[in-house]
Amino acid sequence: MYNSTNDLFEPYQGFIRGNMFKSLYDNYGKVYDIKPMNEQAELLTYLDMFEFAMIDIGLYLDVFPNDANMIAIYNNIKNEKNKIMEKYEENYGPLTLNSNELNKTPWEWDKTPWPWEV
Amino acid sequence: MFKYIKKMEYPINIRNKDLKMAKNLLAQYGGPDGEFAASMRYLNQRFSMPDERGRALLTDIGVEELNHVEMIAAMVMQLMNGASKAELDEAGLTPQYVQHDHALFPVDANGVPFTATYIETTGDYIADLESDMAAEQRARATYEHLMSLTNDPDLLGPLSFLRQREVVHFNRFKELKDYYEKNMNS
Repeated sequence: MYNSTNDLFEPYQGFIRGNMFKSLYDNYGKVYDIKPMNEQAELLTYLDMFEFAMIDIGLYLDVFPNDANMIAIYNNIKNEKNKIMEKYEENYGPLTLNSNELNKTPWEWDKTPWPWEV
Repeated sequence: MFKYIKKMEYPINIRNKDLKMAKNLLAQYGGPDGEFAASMRYLNQRFSMPDERGRALLTDIGVEELNHVEMIAAMVMQLMNGASKAELDEAGLTPQYVQHDHALFPVDANGVPFTATYIETTGDYIADLESDMAAEQRARATYEHLMSLTNDPDLLGPLSFLRQREVVHFNRFKELKDYYEKNMNS
């Protein structure tokens, strides 16, 4: 069960469906694309999709912890995610309190919009 | 320990005000099968799961549901953005306004406040997992009802994402329950 990468959607396709695993996808009408309005939103979409892939594959690995192939996929995605995260924070400010961008004065954590603010 | 990432699990960018949908969406904020209840239920039940698989799955799904609480909250706030008293009244939100102004408060679509009984914990891991599976199915059905009430793609995108997450969580809970039934002598 789920032993090959063929069973997974590509990260973006999985993200917009809310599901990385083809066998669990319950098609319910239209699939909605994310339409980023600017470069920042586009980079955030890349981050969102890798972060999502980690969440979904992580749940699978909680129940099937011996799937070495899936653990390798998880780690590849994590490396991609880390690269995008670093690039995003460099350009647009901190996303977590671990960010390298938090060494400046004034404190930058509260300078960028909160995610529910449009 | 929980740490915040300053982004949504899935972006919420709603451009059109819709007070009726704001009220309807409260079902998934403070309702019995809402995201708030789901998150608290799993984060509470994980302490009595019998092995590392259960503790991991209930923790990770419980945390993911916190992301969904945040998405629903953002949707409700954005749908209500700039609403006048007359508009709130027309959508049946005057009682909400009287007690909470334009603030969020965990109630269901009928205004019934969140209650701890939604956290449904028995201490029997099979009973808890079956209850979790049922809760995911009820939440999936609620998302389908919500999707049938709007044509706004800004809402349909996140609602269809959240609906599919219920399907995935249902399946993972079921896989865990099947594993326990096969491997645990309870």
